[in-house]
Amino acid sequence: MKWWQIKKRRADLERELLSDLELEEEEQQERGLPPEEARSAARRAFGNTTLIKEQTHEAWGWGPVERFLQDFRYALRQLRRFPGFALTIVLILALGIGANTAIFSVIDAVMFRALPVENPQQLVLFTWTSRQQLKLHGHSDFGDCDSTSSDCSLSVPFFRAVRAQANSFSSVAAFAGPLEVNFLGEGSAVIAHGEYVSGDFFSTLGIKTILGRQLGLSDDSPSAPPVIVLDYGYWQRAFGADPSVVGRVVRVNSTQVAIVGVVGPRFRHLTPGKTQDFFMPLSLVDRVRNEWWNDRDRLSDPAIFWVSMVGRLKPEVSIGQAQVEVSNIFRNQVLHGATPLSSPADSPAIRLLPARQGLNGESVEYGPMLNLIMVAVGLVLLVACANVAGLMLARSARRQKEMATRQALGASRARIARQLLTESVVLSLAGGVSGVLVSIWGVHALVQLLSQGTTQPFAFVIAPDWRVLAFTTAVTLATGVLSGLAPIFRDARVDLTPFLKESASSTLGGPQRGRGIRLGDTFVIVQVALSLVVLAGAGLLVRTLTNLHQLHPGFDTQNVLLFGLNPKIAGYTDAQTVELYRNVQQRLAALPGVVSASYSEDALVSQSISGLDVHLDGAAPKSNINTYSLAVGPGFFSTMHIPVLSGRVFSSADFSSAFATNAAVTAAEESARKLPVGSASSANLISPTAPVSAHPLQLAPVPVMINQAFALRFFPNRNPLGLHIGDAQEDEPAKGPQPGFLIVGIVGDTKYRDLRGEVRPMMFLPLVGNSAHFELRSAIDPNELVKPVRGIVSAIDNKLPLFDVRTQTEQIEQTLFRERITSRLSSFFALLALLLACIGLYGLMSYTVTRRTSEIGIRMALGAERSRIAGMVLRESLLLVLCGLLVGVPAAAFASRLIANQLFGLKPGDPVTLLAACVLMVGVATIASYLPARRAASVDPMQALRSE
Amino acid sequence: MDKPAQQRTGLLQGTLDMLILRTLLYGPAHGHQIGKHIQRTTNDFLQMQHGSLYPALHRLEERGWVSAKWETAPDRNREFKYYRLTDKGKKQLVVEESQWKQMSEAVARVMWPTAEES
Repeated sequence: MKWWQIKKRRADLERELLSDLELEEEEQQERGLPPEEARSAARRAFGNTTLIKEQTHEAWGWGPVERFLQDFRYALRQLRRFPGFALTIVLILALGIGANTAIFSVIDAVMFRALPVENPQQLVLFTWTSRQQLKLHGHSDFGDCDSTSSDCSLSVPFFRAVRAQANSFSSVAAFAGPLEVNFLGEGSAVIAHGEYVSGDFFSTLGIKTILGRQLGLSDDSPSAPPVIVLDYGYWQRAFGADPSVVGRVVRVNSTQVAIVGVVGPRFRHLTPGKTQDFFMPLSLVDRVRNEWWNDRDRLSDPAIFWVSMVGRLKPEVSIGQAQVEVSNIFRNQVLHGATPLSSPADSPAIRLLPARQGLNGESVEYGPMLNLIMVAVGLVLLVACANVAGLMLARSARRQKEMATRQALGASRARIARQLLTESVVLSLAGGVSGVLVSIWGVHALVQLLSQGTTQPFAFVIAPDWRVLAFTTAVTLATGVLSGLAPIFRDARVDLTPFLKESASSTLGGPQRGRGIRLGDTFVIVQVALSLVVLAGAGLLVRTLTNLHQLHPGFDTQNVLLFGLNPKIAGYTDAQTVELYRNVQQRLAALPGVVSASYSEDALVSQSISGLDVHLDGAAPKSNINTYSLAVGPGFFSTMHIPVLSGRVFSSADFSSAFATNAAVTAAEESARKLPVGSASSANLISPTAPVSAHPLQLAPVPVMINQAFALRFFPNRNPLGLHIGDAQEDEPAKGPQPGFLIVGIVGDTKYRDLRGEVRPMMFLPLVGNSAHFELRSAIDPNELVKPVRGIVSAIDNKLPLFDVRTQTEQIEQTLFRERITSRLSSFFALLALLLACIGLYGLMSYTVTRRTSEIGIRMALGAERSRIAGMVLRESLLLVLCGLLVGVPAAAFASRLIANQLFGLKPGDPVTLLAACVLMVGVATIASYLPARRAASVDPMQALRSE
Repeated sequence: MDKPAQQRTGLLQGTLDMLILRTLLYGPAHGHQIGKHIQRTTNDFLQMQHGSLYPALHRLEERGWVSAKWETAPDRNREFKYYRLTDKGKKQLVVEESQWKQMSEAVARVMWPTAEES
């Protein structure tokens, strides 16, 4: 029989049974029974018609489906009867499932996602180890691996040696970057980020282009015409996805390069979280240089470690075998090269790591924050489960009478279980579906939130993770379903009669106040305790952020506009740079609304720092001290409102003398390096191009200013003004005599890298080259200055891009972005937990009040005042909250120790925060129990007693 | 109480099906007649339970062994659902009959062995 015929068949059966029943009745009458008796005799003979119908339905083979539909309809009816209950459960489930899926999806994408390349499991990353630092000419890393645990920067000669000699790999590729370059494509010049890649980078990783061609080995030779391949995102952003971009010639720094292709959207960067705007072959390194690199040849110098290497293992080679092979090549190079970089005692070696595990630089950045949020969300999920369980239990307890009636009417336990199960499943499914929606939205919201921290597009590819979704859904649904079934397990051996008597369920302390209710109490206590943990944690994080915001960084952060200029990569010499800066500064200062303008090597509180090792005059040899350093332009201290405590600020004479000294030292270093040791002759030294005419010792020391911390730390009992430091002659004779520094002034302490860091000794130098960040102190809203400032700079040089335009306060906010996100998210989840706990409390209390209506009626009839009744309910619920707090406070104090390193200005287990969390908890709980209390107080005693 | 009911039908199922099919060999009949007939012929030994009769009838119909049609009874001015044996049903009856015979002979051999052994 077909499914759609059921309805007809049901009517048919009805008619058949009816007609046969009538026939039976007639026969009974024919036997002489009076009509009334005949009817009942016929019915007796027939038995239970409903049962017959049910059993006949079974014969049709659609029994299970029919029963399910019946249960389903009934479940819907039940839920419609209590829409508040159904809605609450669905909401809780949706939030629990959604929030967890969202956060786990993000964590998975940031921490565990597979690399977006072909067969990523074959890919290994090269890292090196050595007991002592190698004697390197240069070392740079671009944050590809966690530099605290491994070093993955290597030299190009080593890369070439591995490619030529190693047999373990089917191919090896090197990459470095991204590097800031001056990019002149469409319109005006911009700062773009270029990634150096070896010629076989694309083929090794199996990266496809969607337009044009990849870079190949032939592009990676010094004689090849310079070409680049664009990143998909940059092609979209900067070129409007124009397909005619291939073949176009653009300028990178001062080199003309041709765009030959565009990489497909799937590949962003080998290191998750990083991006670049384009790829360029390693061979371009001579022409497209980082401003900080010296003039050494980065392609042939085995003592400059700057590229990361990945290799694709041949299928039959183990990672251990490969490691032995490449370690030999490495040792050979660092120990037996022209100038050994290390000694055998230091046992330099290569360690190969699975690429995904090794390339974790960016994950390290986000990891702790995400873990913290994950814990908070996990606790919220627990609260949600406890809540659902509590609500389901309370409801099932309310339905005991209904269940007892059904059982008394002959419904089997299995049938009731099926019924309850259907209800739970319907509820849970509704929650699950909403959870999916919440998780999709949540992932989106989280990505939005995380992107606020960077000016770059957020580089992790994040989508809701279906495995995670399945997991959280399963956990939550299981809770719903199991707690929905609880009455069956609980009522397995109960006497039915008490439940059928209304009176039995309406007094306190009766036999019915059994396990379920005490279980409900436990659930509320657990929820309160867990919520308090999340609440206290969030409180600590919020207060950390407030503390950081209230901190005075030593300078005036208001009304300052910042922007960066990098003339060097646009082709400026140091002298031209100094001239440019003076010009820009003068014109900016003349802008209406600008109070004063200055510049410095880095902006304050921008997470970048420079440092110097200097030798204090008179200290023991080889005892250098380390100090922060910052090169600044004229008027820096007055512009930033940093107080000058004693001495003077830099004069223009200071800048000229610093420039002269710097130029001479650089030139001397360069000529010394260009001459191989041993072949130096006086004839070569006095070449017409060498600008050095004076011996460095005859140069004036660079005038510097120090901060108060420097003065207190290194000159506790002396006036540092006029003192000379940094004569490193005794320390590094190889480096030659240095002019050193002369202290001319002392200024107040300021924060440098970020707000959290301790104020450390700091030295300010005159800025005489390099890139700079300009600071404009304005009398008006600094954002209004952006347009005129751009106008001024492009009027001076329209090939010079402004970058990182932002106000000082925005800059500080950017450094606080992790704190901001953790405090925001944790507050959100804490409030969610609080809300859930209060819903749980409210549910339990209203249930109690409903059950005790007649008891309350009696009390009132006996003269209890309404306020006393309300007080009784309130007291009972606050007792539960108190129990929760008793568990929660120690738990919170303990848990907060786990986030100790994220706190600022307060200790874990901070009593004020804990107290505030408790007060908030009690306050909201009081509101939650006020409603049931008021309902209890408004019970009409007559009605309550009549309902008995 | 589902369980015991199902056991009872399970025990009787094959036999009841056969009895119904055999009854319908005399001609079309409605549920009441079939029940009464079996009850009468066995001298009330088999008390027909309606709870098993109707499911059995519908099961047989589902398998195509009987067909059903609403027809007016010759003696009453009213329609009844008449069941009628199909060709498939007749074949089934033969199968069940022989199975039953084999079964009862086998049971008999165990219960009264002397007659066979002599």
